[in-house]
Amino acid sequence: MIAGKLKQGSNIISRYGIFIAFIVLCILLSVATPHFLTGQNLLIILRQVSVNGILAIGVTFVIIAGGIDLSLGSVVALTGVVAAGYAHPNTYPLIVPLLIGLFTGVGVGLINGLVITLGKVAPFIVTLGMMTMARGLALVWSDGRPVSNLSPAFNFIGGGDWLYIPVPILLFVLVVVVSYILLNNTTIGRYIYAVGGNEQAAKASGIRVNAVKLFAYIICGGLAALAGIVLASRITTGQPNAGIAYELDAIAAVVIGGTSLMGGRGTVTGTVVGVLIIGIINNGLDLLNVSSYYQQIIKGVIIIGAVLLDRRNAR
Amino acid sequence: MTSFAFMNKNYLLRVQHLSKSFPGVKALDDIHLDIEAGKVHAVMGENGAGKSTLMKILIGMMAPDSGSIFFKGENTSFRSVHDAIKAGFSMIHQELLPFPDLTVAENIYMGRYPVIFPGWVNRRKLNADAQQLINRLGLSVKANRKMKTLRIAEMQMVEIAKAISNNAALMIMDEPTSAISQKEVDTLFAIIKNLTASGVAVIYISHKMDEVLQIADTVTVLRDGKCIVTRAASELNKDSLISMIVGRPIDIIFDKKHFERGEILLSVRDLSGNGFREVSFDVYAGEILGVAGLMGAGRTEIMRALFGLDEIRSGTIYFKGNPVKIKSPDVAMALGIGFISEDRKETGLVLTSTVKKNITLGALNLCSHNYIIDKKKEAIIADEQILRFKIKTTGRNQVINFLSGGNQQKVVLAKVLLRDPQVIIFDEPTRGIDIGAKAEIYRMMTELAAIGKAIIMISSELPEVLGMSDRILVVRNGKITGEMKGEEATQEKIMHFAMV
Amino acid sequence: MLNRIIFLVCSLILFTACHQQTNSNGEKIPVIGASMLSLQSEFVVNLKDAMGAHAKEKNVELIVNDAQRTAEKQVQQVETFISQKVDAIILNPCEVEASSPAIAKAKAAGIPIINVNSETSATPDGFVGSKDEQAGEIAMEQIAKLLGEKGNVVMIDGYMGQAAQIKRAIGAKNILTKYPDIRILAEQTAEWDRAKAMSLMENWIQSYGNKINAVFAHNDEMGMGALQALEQAKLKDKVIVVSIDAIADALQAVKDGRLDATVFQDAKGQGTGAIDMALQLIKKQPLENNAIFIPFQLVTKENVEGYMKK
Repeated sequence: MIAGKLKQGSNIISRYGIFIAFIVLCILLSVATPHFLTGQNLLIILRQVSVNGILAIGVTFVIIAGGIDLSLGSVVALTGVVAAGYAHPNTYPLIVPLLIGLFTGVGVGLINGLVITLGKVAPFIVTLGMMTMARGLALVWSDGRPVSNLSPAFNFIGGGDWLYIPVPILLFVLVVVVSYILLNNTTIGRYIYAVGGNEQAAKASGIRVNAVKLFAYIICGGLAALAGIVLASRITTGQPNAGIAYELDAIAAVVIGGTSLMGGRGTVTGTVVGVLIIGIINNGLDLLNVSSYYQQIIKGVIIIGAVLLDRRNAR
Repeated sequence: MTSFAFMNKNYLLRVQHLSKSFPGVKALDDIHLDIEAGKVHAVMGENGAGKSTLMKILIGMMAPDSGSIFFKGENTSFRSVHDAIKAGFSMIHQELLPFPDLTVAENIYMGRYPVIFPGWVNRRKLNADAQQLINRLGLSVKANRKMKTLRIAEMQMVEIAKAISNNAALMIMDEPTSAISQKEVDTLFAIIKNLTASGVAVIYISHKMDEVLQIADTVTVLRDGKCIVTRAASELNKDSLISMIVGRPIDIIFDKKHFERGEILLSVRDLSGNGFREVSFDVYAGEILGVAGLMGAGRTEIMRALFGLDEIRSGTIYFKGNPVKIKSPDVAMALGIGFISEDRKETGLVLTSTVKKNITLGALNLCSHNYIIDKKKEAIIADEQILRFKIKTTGRNQVINFLSGGNQQKVVLAKVLLRDPQVIIFDEPTRGIDIGAKAEIYRMMTELAAIGKAIIMISSELPEVLGMSDRILVVRNGKITGEMKGEEATQEKIMHFAMV
Repeated sequence: MLNRIIFLVCSLILFTACHQQTNSNGEKIPVIGASMLSLQSEFVVNLKDAMGAHAKEKNVELIVNDAQRTAEKQVQQVETFISQKVDAIILNPCEVEASSPAIAKAKAAGIPIINVNSETSATPDGFVGSKDEQAGEIAMEQIAKLLGEKGNVVMIDGYMGQAAQIKRAIGAKNILTKYPDIRILAEQTAEWDRAKAMSLMENWIQSYGNKINAVFAHNDEMGMGALQALEQAKLKDKVIVVSIDAIADALQAVKDGRLDATVFQDAKGQGTGAIDMALQLIKKQPLENNAIFIPFQLVTKENVEGYMKK
């Protein structure tokens, strides 16, 4: 009887391990500093995580489909400078930089996906190559300089509020909701899980595996572009060297959220919690004014610890 | 007093009150097992009866919930496979796990290489020792050959050699004859006799009655996680074993009926591809076409190409008289062809996913509208299939990995048949599953033929081919070498076409 | 595949052949190789452009390599210059210690080598650059002046451990010893990155709120990020922001009265100075001064117009 209860208890931990870790972290920070648990600070955390959040959701699609995307950070820079190039005041209407930026990201995703599926090259290699290519393109496009002097309409995307809520947060929430529905309630979402879980079986079930993978990389590229636009708008410049190593934070968030790097398993909600964990660590350690050197160590420990807790119980 | 009981007789291993549960399933329920040194003790039971779980606990891969294990009179509980091997246990696995790129000698002495000084392997001694051991087993393999170049039977022998070199006191053999020829079985049995003569105890797990009755001294039957009986093999026969394993007598396994055959559903003309060439045959509605041949003859390759999984180099396929190009499985499925693969883990199922999601994976169009899945409808469909195919599961949301082999196979059937295909290819439909599930699958095939489906059944088990087929094709070296009617066929005839 | 290799080899041969150009008088055009810290940094790009423009003017061929912040790569690039037999080498060092072997190798090969912008522990044949400590000093002096020698400062560091970060921090702290009433409230890195500085500033506003009187950022990118965070929190009119580099964005912000001051580092002066010094060394003319320091200059609203054209 008691054993049964204990088992039930450990079941709860195994299902919600990462959520519990998240809540424990929140409680610890609330105790450590009075500035943490304020409405304004929470809003700030959400705004700060929105770029990484959008990226992490994008790469969640790819990782569930059994792939990986290392080109995210560079795509952020590329789409940022490209969109900024069309966003100077009194030049084009807002829709032009947005669409051009998004198409750039989708294009990169399409190329990644085509080389991976038709060329049969490992995703790690293809996106590693794309990482440096996109970075180079961003530098060529911008001539190595930040693209600044952007229109107020463009800057509203990253810096404005709508109904008292910062626009990046709204975009992030929108991305989360749409992605959740895509992965859970649509046929293509189901196919993404199947392809990542067992490509052979998916193929034998009549799923067009290449098309599914292509879809995942395009979504990922498109969301990287959205993140790039939000970032450029937030810092009011397109920076060719923005987003360096952003892919690592995004992938870390996905992994913390319980998505398997082997593919086939993972959730949007998990990724959101992973993103929030990374966000509150950054915010909390700044609030506590922990030295930069120690911040890096603490972050690493928390990331590994969170995943360890998840894995230990997820038997 | 009970603690002294095991000392009376010379038991090498005693298992008492052993229990183990998984979420929703009692895998083992108060198991007792006494193993004597120098004897072969067979453990039988349907898939899912608990044999694999029991062996995993014995070898230290899993911890029991309760119960005790006495080895050489001492209460033991192995924390890892490594501990178990050190204590003198050894397991010849159903799915062998050798290191394919290392040599035979390196595999045998893995972790215990002789060294000249630490870090420098004495390769000459390693190979000489291994060769001596291999020769003793009557195996003609060079010790420095790469493991991956060996046949399955040879790999098994190497595993046994490894166990001997470990001074194993107890060897667990899990389905050792499932993938080897009769001649190799004879060699294996000779080795087992030698082993027991030298005092080694063997736990022998198998579905094959004849073999068990031939080699075992004692037989224990498990059913639904419980010990049903332990008896001397000499007191048993095939019929009594079957009734104990399934819990009821099976009168006729092959539920074969002949039906009026209808039109030609599928014709293949001069089809060539990887592993087969110039293959031509027809399949009629309402018939079961058996495809016999040795393993590796190219039977699976033909069917994979037919289903769009592998490339077709030349030749034509006609479906209901019309030429069709099958480039990928979705085309084949749209035409009405279903494929139940021999390898459910590789091409059959998404193991990380649930029963429900696997069942509906190939037919999401039945429960979706504008790409949005209707989850209520999906659940209803899944539950219907679970009921129809008698899949033993805790529910539609159970992860498929936790099901037994037979139940996994039923999920594959449920998935493929959900689309109601006209032509159904069964590739080794009963491999590695128990008698009860086998009978159910045979009955299902007969029912499908009765409603006018065309069935192609690849099988390596001759009784199955003879018992089920209306017509039999024999494949050798990628070509069809013989065709005969089911009632005219004999084992000798088939083997003649398959081997000469 | 083979076609492609042949194509590559041919184009490489053509490329190197082009290097031995001659001018109209039949004299050989001098070739200068430059290994730059990182062409992803706006200042270094400006420096490179200034060098390129001046080289063109002086009819010199300039080969520019990007060391991508890797000292090892930088040393390899210099080795390649040596084997190409360039006439002089300009080094924009990645690191104080790790880039030093490049100097030794060039000297051993008898090719003159000049450091531009920052120093190495090995002594080159010449140096044109600025002292980063000075930038920190100028910026912090301006903050002290605007604060009335009293108040709380937060400092946003560059990438920890890089020469510019270390020296700018040292310069700033040197000045603070003079003003006991100015306190550093917090110090944290934002890795030269605008978005990171913006997040950091947002977080500081949460924990220190009105206590912050001034922000010193090691470069303009981070200064701009801090500025945006302050503006969003509607605190800018209460907080002074000063940063370094005088990039276009920052100059515009100074002009608009948003950024209080920036510190101008003279990319053009350094670039032209380096080319001139290299030419002198190639022609074996004696140098009057083998270490030219181009001073940093404070940019405020009063004098910003003059810098916006540069």
